[in-house]
Amino acid sequence: MKGLRIICMFLLGFLMVISCSENQDFDQIDDLAIVPSYETSIFYVKAQETLINRVAGLNFFTQDFNFDAFEEPFFTERVISGVLTYELENTTSKPIEIVLEFLDTNENVIDTEVFSMDPAPTSVLSRDVAYGPTGKSLDIIRTTSKIRLTAVNLGDNSSESNIPDSAIELRSSAQFTLELQ
Amino acid sequence: MLFALGLKSQNKQILYDFNEIPQSLSLNPGVESDFKWFAGIPLLSGVYGNFGTNGISVHDLFADDGLDINVKFRERALNELSPRDEFSSTIQLEYLTGGFRGRNSNMFYSFGGYFEFDNITYWPQDYAFLIFDGNADQLGRRYDLGDFKTRGSLVNVLHFGINKKVDRNLTIGARGKIYSGIVDYSSTRNSGFLRNVEGQNNRIASTLNADVLLQTSGLQDLDDANDNDMLTNEIISRAFFGGDLGVGADVGFTYHLSERTTITGSLLDVGFIYHTSDPKSYSLDGNTTVEGIEIDILENFASLDRDFWQDLVDEVETAVPFDSDTKSYITFRPTKLYASIRNDFGEPVGKSSGIQNCDCTAGSSGGGELRTKYRNSFGGQVYVINRPRGPQMALTGFYTRRFGNGLAFKGTYTVDKFSYTNVGLGMNLQAGPVNFYIMADNLLSYNNIADSHYASFQFGLNIISWGRRK
Repeated sequence: MKGLRIICMFLLGFLMVISCSENQDFDQIDDLAIVPSYETSIFYVKAQETLINRVAGLNFFTQDFNFDAFEEPFFTERVISGVLTYELENTTSKPIEIVLEFLDTNENVIDTEVFSMDPAPTSVLSRDVAYGPTGKSLDIIRTTSKIRLTAVNLGDNSSESNIPDSAIELRSSAQFTLELQ
Repeated sequence: MLFALGLKSQNKQILYDFNEIPQSLSLNPGVESDFKWFAGIPLLSGVYGNFGTNGISVHDLFADDGLDINVKFRERALNELSPRDEFSSTIQLEYLTGGFRGRNSNMFYSFGGYFEFDNITYWPQDYAFLIFDGNADQLGRRYDLGDFKTRGSLVNVLHFGINKKVDRNLTIGARGKIYSGIVDYSSTRNSGFLRNVEGQNNRIASTLNADVLLQTSGLQDLDDANDNDMLTNEIISRAFFGGDLGVGADVGFTYHLSERTTITGSLLDVGFIYHTSDPKSYSLDGNTTVEGIEIDILENFASLDRDFWQDLVDEVETAVPFDSDTKSYITFRPTKLYASIRNDFGEPVGKSSGIQNCDCTAGSSGGGELRTKYRNSFGGQVYVINRPRGPQMALTGFYTRRFGNGLAFKGTYTVDKFSYTNVGLGMNLQAGPVNFYIMADNLLSYNNIADSHYASFQFGLNIISWGRRK
């Protein structure tokens, strides 16, 4: 009987210790927010001054570039904000104007950015353009299919900067926040 | 008949060398046994398993404590866990087992089959940061693609073992295994990184250096069978030699250094599975650095009409191709090592002379010379398992107390990466031919099981025969 009592006590004790758990709320998983921000370069364009001097007229360059990055469904369905950062550096002897136009699939212009640069020496122009709650409409990003780049020479076609490899360079990057859950 | 249900951890430190229980043969084929025979029919009403995580518990995240889960997740998981933290689970369901003593009473044969699901996944730290935070404002930070390591399988294991008492001091054993793989997935040798740095031309240069491989087998077959409502048939087919096949072995020994001091050791699951039936592998392999669309008008003047975006996509896909193939592959089983030293003390069980008054004495070997079993034993055990990030070890101290021939308790204290407070307790009850055992570890955490980093539970019901009394 002593052995039986030991067994019963053991089993009872065992059941007691395994039966305890504080309250858990697994529905909290629905409140877990996954909103990462990703950053990468977008495009880089360089036009040398020697090229600019060879083109007659004001518009020395106009080109439409296909840009499907923003059209990916995974991206368009989840993006909640973004910032496009531009850097324009002018080492030519001419004042330059750069016009960026965002086009939708029907080639309608849905947004425009204009950059005006003095001739060298001049500092690098930086500009952040926000999209989303604190900036322009996100639909501009979601519907952009092409980017039209127009470069205008507001100076002459003969002078040359004394800076080696003088050129106008446009750098850009994007930082977007996605709502994954 | 045997009814054995196991909710077992990979480390079964309570069962190991608990040689009154037939299942201890599964952990050491060279255990001392004195059974004439035992046999079993499975209890198939459920599946049991264990879960272990050394870094975080269910309670840490899901406690109903009013705290924001986003804060809890960031403070307790994202900022705390490392790639060495693991989530592992094992489920075993023994559906057939038995054993019998041969004409040579020093030989004992055992056989059986069981299903085993085993998974281990390490915390993919840098993948988690990429998913939850992204890579913005992290110039120079290297996201390690090697952080992703996972391995898992569902196999049916058929085994046959031989246990031989060489002499009064030494017992050895070996067991052969045939693995019939049902499902397997493995991604353990990944390397590479994703990193943003300041670009040479553009603002940011993004580098992807990847050598990532995920191998699977059986998933497609099961998915197809599920679509055709043939899932059960497919699982059964793959479980019984219709899937991937492999072989393995267990070996073990028990040796008495003296009358009261014993050492044991075993090496389990030294084997492999060759995945040939439905292999599918996915790889991402290559290296590239991009700075977005780069247009040098002078250099590209003649081809400015081309699709620069598509060219960029093609360049990345060429440099770092995502491929899949159906080549066969081999996986090695998670090999385990056990070793122990035990010292017996106190009064002999039964008559004080040490001569047993029953037919269930450890070491009697069904006809060999009887070895005295003592009321108390204590000792230490070591356990090592081979894991994708290297061997894991656990150290156990134990104390066994026997109350007559019918009742024994074994208490353990184990230190491993999951817990420093793992206290376990097991009981074996012998009532005539009926043998019942129950055991659980990490008992101190059971007052709030959700806060436990590790839990396992195991019990079984056996019918054992020792034949005629000695």
